[in-house]
Amino acid sequence: MTENPLEAEGDIAADYLEGLLDIIDVDGDLEMDVENGRAMVAIVGEDLYELVGDGGEVLDALQDLARLAVMRETGHRSRLMLDVGGYRAALRKELTDQGTRAVDEVKRTGESVSLPPMTPFERKVVHDAVAAAGLVSESSGEEPNRYVVVLPA
Amino acid sequence: MARPLAEALEHLVSGIVDHPDDVTVREKQGRGRGTLLKVTVHPEDLGRVIGRAGRTAKSLRTVINAIAGGRGVRVDFVDVNGR
Repeated sequence: MTENPLEAEGDIAADYLEGLLDIIDVDGDLEMDVENGRAMVAIVGEDLYELVGDGGEVLDALQDLARLAVMRETGHRSRLMLDVGGYRAALRKELTDQGTRAVDEVKRTGESVSLPPMTPFERKVVHDAVAAAGLVSESSGEEPNRYVVVLPA
Repeated sequence: MARPLAEALEHLVSGIVDHPDDVTVREKQGRGRGTLLKVTVHPEDLGRVIGRAGRTAKSLRTVINAIAGGRGVRVDFVDVNGR
């Protein structure tokens, strides 16, 4: 038995997902981690696109189900994050780069820069990247068209 | 590549309900309308597999259609009383 509840969450989700991979005969390894107070589970392997889907639609569905599988066992709502085939990791890098480029532009022009509409998760990644590059950003607009504005110093 | 869709769905549903032994999935080949997967669960679990605003049912359908490789698969949920 695992002591840490977040590690236990990862184990439950990994068992659930591994069972699915076995049934549909997909090769993938399960990796578990704990990051920023959340259980992280990743399915790693080649040719996993079908389990990511357009815009990560299938990945989001699998994450939703894995969280429910955890809740069934623990009785608590889970904030577990799932990644498949490095999709979220790649998205995170792209968003971080986008935030960093916007910071460069704001520093060069002295004017604020607005980015395209993003989900709350995507905006959080951009805000973090902007803060790491030494500027401040805010969100503007209404969901689902809310977007990040990078402000001049 | 015919995949055991009913078995995959049974696994996914059994893992999120309180009465996994009561989960059954029956596969029906519709005429021209593709495959129908009929999921039966314990009455106490029907709300759980449908989810708030149908969210969990939608997630289950999304995953099953993805592993069906684009074949249109319908998924219906009922409890053991046939509701």
